[in-house]
Amino acid sequence: MDILLQAIAVLAVLGGTFFSVLGVLGYVRLPDVYTRLHATGKVGVFGVVLLLVAAMAWTPLGLGKGLVLIALLLLAGPVTSHALGSAAYRIGIPMKRALRDDLAEHLGRTAPETPGLTNRTEPSS
Amino acid sequence: MTTILNTVLYLALVVHIGLVAIALWRLWRGENVIDRLMGFDLSGILVLAILVLVSLIGRNSIYIDVALGLAALGFISTVALAKYIADEQMF
Repeated sequence: MDILLQAIAVLAVLGGTFFSVLGVLGYVRLPDVYTRLHATGKVGVFGVVLLLVAAMAWTPLGLGKGLVLIALLLLAGPVTSHALGSAAYRIGIPMKRALRDDLAEHLGRTAPETPGLTNRTEPSS
Repeated sequence: MTTILNTVLYLALVVHIGLVAIALWRLWRGENVIDRLMGFDLSGILVLAILVLVSLIGRNSIYIDVALGLAALGFISTVALAKYIADEQMF
């Protein structure tokens, strides 16, 4: 039983570290704010939740507090990402290499006023 | 098996400390305000992961309580700052 719990902890810690490394790599390497937001969302939702699964298996924590923290992280991650993305769109941070902007048409803005679409006239490679 | 677990845990701790350093460096060289706010949020989440790893190394569940408070405060501060940037007023 102890061996099984330790194996679960090892696998969960390795998976969580993998997702954290992937999220920070995306935060450093991706081109604009919206794609970077897509990468950093993975750190909170997958990395820390897998580490908490390992903590529930191996520390004397109990299921209750760990499940409360997992539920808090799963609720907070998408809300934070949506708040940051909405704020970035509203203050007009441009998108790199975007093909179209459906939200601008939905909001009724005309094309030159849209914050995204920096290279609509350039030919796509 | 305990040796393997301890090795993996210390390795993950070192990796996470390096990731916090990279995220703080990227936050220092951020290109706009949303980028820096995103780095702030990412640093908070990685510090939370370090707290969970310290709790796993010591087999001591007291650090999970600290992580719970840190998660709640980081979430509220990031959402409030994003609303302040978008609307130029807090409420």
